[in-house]
Amino acid sequence: MWIVRASVSIISTVCVFLLMRKLYSKYPTPLLMPILTSTIIIIAGLLLLNIPFDVYMEGGRYLQHLLGPGVGALAYPLYNQWQMVLKYKYTILSGIVIAMVSGIISVYTLLVVFKIDKEYILTALPKSMTTPVAMNVSETIGGIPPLTAVLVLIAGFTGALLGPLMYSLGRIHSPISRGVAMGSASHGVGTAKLVDYGELDLSVGSLSMGLSAVVGAILCPIFVYIFM
Amino acid sequence: MKVIRIILQVMLLYVFYYIGVFVVEMTHLPLPASIIGLVLLFICLYFKWIKVDYVKDGANFLIGFMTLFFIPPIIGIIDYPELLSVSGSLLVASVIISTLFVLFTTSLICQWIEKKELAMKEKKELAMEKEGERDVDRTSECIHH
Repeated sequence: MWIVRASVSIISTVCVFLLMRKLYSKYPTPLLMPILTSTIIIIAGLLLLNIPFDVYMEGGRYLQHLLGPGVGALAYPLYNQWQMVLKYKYTILSGIVIAMVSGIISVYTLLVVFKIDKEYILTALPKSMTTPVAMNVSETIGGIPPLTAVLVLIAGFTGALLGPLMYSLGRIHSPISRGVAMGSASHGVGTAKLVDYGELDLSVGSLSMGLSAVVGAILCPIFVYIFM
Repeated sequence: MKVIRIILQVMLLYVFYYIGVFVVEMTHLPLPASIIGLVLLFICLYFKWIKVDYVKDGANFLIGFMTLFFIPPIIGIIDYPELLSVSGSLLVASVIISTLFVLFTTSLICQWIEKKELAMKEKKELAMEKEGERDVDRTSECIHH
């Protein structure tokens, strides 16, 4: 019986995703991003049909499992763009470290000021990394991975929607700087927005997303070990 | 044919992931197994131990569908309705403010560092050109003598 339930949840998730992706390619506004619309539709479906999350995950975990090799696959674009990294290596590397450190410290400070529980602070710390890595780090340091995933998504939308405003406030005209900031603050969702700026923005953005995941995955546990 | 190639390449990428899992289990490194897989694959590509063509299609496939793979874990949010509470809203607000702060400061500082890096490179190139000219002078001197 479980194999039927698993297939149903896999097939329906893939179908909803493909449909939403089609919709997004027709109307490419951030609010119609497939990850957002698919999630809402599937959650609504589960709530309406009274299906518990555990039952959905009988199939869902097979899709989730592909995140492991998926993150590893980011080595391929990283390899492709390696020459460009070398050209601007100090700018990109220092930018990523600044972004990760300021991100961890700022969210930690805010949450301490708001008197939020430790478990939720650990959940929010990896918020600027790409989802699979953020969830992995969240699990490693004792956060709540699915909640981390939602906070990551919120960080992504913040960048995609308000990033352009930040650029004009700071008078940022450099594609390298735009890419580094967006990739390391708002990972994939924000990086997708960089298509509007140009190819260099986009490649530096996706590269920074990958590199900041590595840097963050190292810095986050160290920060927790020292300060919490 | 392409489907088979993608499946085989995804299996190869899985090998790297499971090497990462193995490394994490052996060493208890506080790092995600997937990141260790990424670094190992990059090293293999960089030193040409593995041809780019052996992973290209599989990698593009997985990266193209990446968002699909994180839908199931995000669905897990239905088990956390407290996100709609007061502390939940503060959590969300903190993430938004922090992200804006990072975007603003990083792009600003980055633009400043980039200018420095470019200026340094130009200086270096100028110095190298001068050195080159001096070499030319020296050779011409040699010829004169």
